[in-house]
Amino acid sequence: MIAQSKLEMTDSQPFSNAKLGVVILLGAETMLFVGLIGAFLVLRMGNVTWPPLSHADIQLPRLVTGINTGLLLISGFTMFQAIRAIQSDRLKQLRVFLIFTGVLGLLFLVIQGSEWIQLVGKGLTLQSGVYGAIFYVLIGCHAIHVLGAVIWLTIVIGMALVGRFSSVSYTGVETCTIYWIYVVALWPILYFMVYFA
Amino acid sequence: MSIKIVLWVLILGIVISFLPQTLDACPACKNLDEPIARGFNISVLFMMAMPFTVFGAIGGSVFYYYRRANKQIKT
Repeated sequence: MIAQSKLEMTDSQPFSNAKLGVVILLGAETMLFVGLIGAFLVLRMGNVTWPPLSHADIQLPRLVTGINTGLLLISGFTMFQAIRAIQSDRLKQLRVFLIFTGVLGLLFLVIQGSEWIQLVGKGLTLQSGVYGAIFYVLIGCHAIHVLGAVIWLTIVIGMALVGRFSSVSYTGVETCTIYWIYVVALWPILYFMVYFA
Repeated sequence: MSIKIVLWVLILGIVISFLPQTLDACPACKNLDEPIARGFNISVLFMMAMPFTVFGAIGGSVFYYYRRANKQIKT
């Protein structure tokens, strides 16, 4: 009986290959961000004044980015609600929550893009020094990940609209949720580190 | 007796002569009180801790899911 149960457990795979793949991908992503944060720590601690004197007049938009952070955190909540909806077979709610999450992600990118345009206008560019370089590389790297998550989510929304998911088969939603939650959870760390350092 | 003492002094002298005087291997470590050196130190420690954290988290979560599934099957 126990041997049969063990066989069933092996067949059902409590930790699916797709989920394991995403988790390993996130491990690699973590190492990428750790490297960038490490570089930030060296540059930040190497300078007594931050921003450096060459960029003393530049103020990062903390308030707008704070509101943007709130939007991204809400998107994490709606994504979590989406997976709860599919777990209890509420397909209509799944679609609504997924679309809402995607819109919030896009809004985050649009607001951040508009901030960048203002900062470039003030003279903070990638070539203007270590401050600009580490800011754009670190925040830009996260923005690319949000963009990737939005593209992934768009595919998942398309699949949800044609009814590809059910309460017993929702790996697509699950893996996308893991990635989305990761991107959302990473942002507050970067926000407080870069904008309040 | 005196030969023993001479031998011990000789061994001690050889050991002392092999002790490193300064850490010249790393150009960033000459003055650890400098802000840039402290930055490097913290950054290195942070990056060193991360592989263990990441692999621990992945391994831990896989272990947790399998253990939970195993418990569900037994009950």
